[in-house]
Amino acid sequence: MKRLSLLGALLAGALATGGAAAQDVIRIGAPLPITGPLSPEAQKQQRGYNLWAEAANKAGGVKVGDKRMKVEIVYVDYQSNTPRAVQAAEKLITQDKVHFLFSPFGSGAAKAASSVSEKYQVPTIAATASSAQVYDQGYKFLFGTFTPNDTLTEPLSDIIRKQAAGVQRVAILARNDLFPLAIAQEMEKSAKKRGMNVVYFEKYAIGTLDHASALSQIKAQAPHWIFATGYTNDLVAMRKQMADQKIEAPVVTMIAAPAYQEWIDATGKLSENVTSAAWWHPAARYKGKDVFGTTEAFVKAFRDKYKADPDYGEASAAASAAIFQLAIEKAGSLDRQKVRDALAAMNEMTFWGPVKFGPTGQIVSLEPPVFQIQKGKPTVVFPPAIRQADLKLGVAY
Amino acid sequence: MLYLQILANGLVLGGLYACIAAGFSLVWGVLNVINILHGSFIVLGGYLAFFGYVEFGIHPFASIVIAAPLFFVLGYALQRALINRMIAAPVLLTLTLTFGLDLVLSNGMLAAFTADFRKLILEPPLGVATLGPVVMPVDRLAAMLLALALTGMLYLLLAKSRIGRAIVAVRMDREAAALMGVTVPRVYAITFGLGALMAGASGPLLAMIFPISPLGGPVYLGKAFVICVLGGLGSVPGAMLGGLLLGVVESFGALWFGPEHATTLSFVLLILILLLRPEGLLGRKGYA
Repeated sequence: MKRLSLLGALLAGALATGGAAAQDVIRIGAPLPITGPLSPEAQKQQRGYNLWAEAANKAGGVKVGDKRMKVEIVYVDYQSNTPRAVQAAEKLITQDKVHFLFSPFGSGAAKAASSVSEKYQVPTIAATASSAQVYDQGYKFLFGTFTPNDTLTEPLSDIIRKQAAGVQRVAILARNDLFPLAIAQEMEKSAKKRGMNVVYFEKYAIGTLDHASALSQIKAQAPHWIFATGYTNDLVAMRKQMADQKIEAPVVTMIAAPAYQEWIDATGKLSENVTSAAWWHPAARYKGKDVFGTTEAFVKAFRDKYKADPDYGEASAAASAAIFQLAIEKAGSLDRQKVRDALAAMNEMTFWGPVKFGPTGQIVSLEPPVFQIQKGKPTVVFPPAIRQADLKLGVAY
Repeated sequence: MLYLQILANGLVLGGLYACIAAGFSLVWGVLNVINILHGSFIVLGGYLAFFGYVEFGIHPFASIVIAAPLFFVLGYALQRALINRMIAAPVLLTLTLTFGLDLVLSNGMLAAFTADFRKLILEPPLGVATLGPVVMPVDRLAAMLLALALTGMLYLLLAKSRIGRAIVAVRMDREAAALMGVTVPRVYAITFGLGALMAGASGPLLAMIFPISPLGGPVYLGKAFVICVLGGLGSVPGAMLGGLLLGVVESFGALWFGPEHATTLSFVLLILILLLRPEGLLGRKGYA
């Protein structure tokens, strides 16, 4: 037996053209902002990728044709600097000889790096890019696990319209940044479409410390629905300053921070009844065919390893990797064109939800949940299939 | 009515700004050292208050009393051990030194406290004071008053005490002060210690109001720069005036031009001051 595997190794070595290591292991490149301001996001991504690599290797590896291959994620730090993300992607393809690629973090960097993977025809999955502008370049090798931004604001507006008919005046305050601004603009459209009146729409600059002035103006408009976008830091400061100004409203929505436990801890009681939406929630109940299986099994595996609940960013990273595995196993080969075709044709259930990519490569099959912080926990209020509680109105100071 | 509220917002914010800038201005004015560490000292003071409150129930106001001597000693030692060796070098070199020290401190905090944003939540909260149509969060109000008191104390120290006069003398003319028997390195160390004290003491105040993160220093530092130029380097009343002015101008800037341009107005003002009165509103050769 031992001699046989030795023979096999020799044979594989003899057949290999690009070095033995590259043949034994499936290598997926991940350019990430491991240092710099976006480093917390990179850590989340790594947790997702690493969890998958561990799960896949524990299961004996990924099935390629009739053999099983171990997997390895190759990380390159681009220091939260988008031009370097593009270089990092190119380095991973040309020097590190990875088979496949994950996009760098966020819509902006993912779009920038997508031209590199297209040039080298490397199938690439973006785990954190939602903006449609990332996918409308006619590229064939880019896929993404976030649905477009309006899939977050549409169900949110639906449920508010249905359960809070009195909500008419909407105030929107957005961070002047690609994703936070894009989602605010979608919100404006969704609100107007339902006959609501957008009485305030302003942007604030990245790095803004104090929101008191904007909030005083919002208060003067007496809105029924306050919709604020930004990242954890912004929305911790803003929620506190809303209370400082004695602002209350039937509905307060914040995107994206409330999905993170860190935001709930940092705002304390003020987090109560704040609504939000995300592409995924640990309360989802999908029965997947991927390496993790059900959503519950994924959440359990994540908890066991990291002692925390996964958020949608971490889950999306793990899902992207699991989707690669499904595509490779379907293609039965590491051939980039075949794996790309398997991705394009995919129609599978995963712990992340149903996975089917549209003609642009962006996923079209997800139904993002709306949730609300109730008793200090993110609680799903929509869709009905995974609802944990009813929507509550009234956010106090 | 909205104008009154915006003015009140601006004044309270300005009080905090004054506190952020006073120590920075003092060190820059007296030592001619641009202390990049200042922002991270504030953050460290914030963490002290956060853990003091969460772990031991020490009220952030009480943390100030603990932070002040600690940071004075830290600043004094740092100046004595490291910065004094470079003090005669051109300003860019000391800037590089404090920049390097800042990298060490902020990455140390990142390792010790993780990148999570935290917030000091008082239980029960201090609440909100209402004065006619104007609402005013009590924590901001108290923080502003304390900040002004701290800044005022620094002013009195410089104007009335023996060591304060020595600091002013060194700022005016180092050689002459040395000839008069002032031990310049010691005065430098005390000044740097005072600067660190002001940063460390404003940390707990700001921790009640803004989220704390290890990499939050540069935001405070940027404000301190602007305030120093507005008010005049090395002048405590200048820092106070510059801080209040910046707070009010940012508030009205956000109202008139939208929050994304809150700082536009203040930078226009900054350029005007640099053109018309480059020494700052209250800057002059003399001090205090």
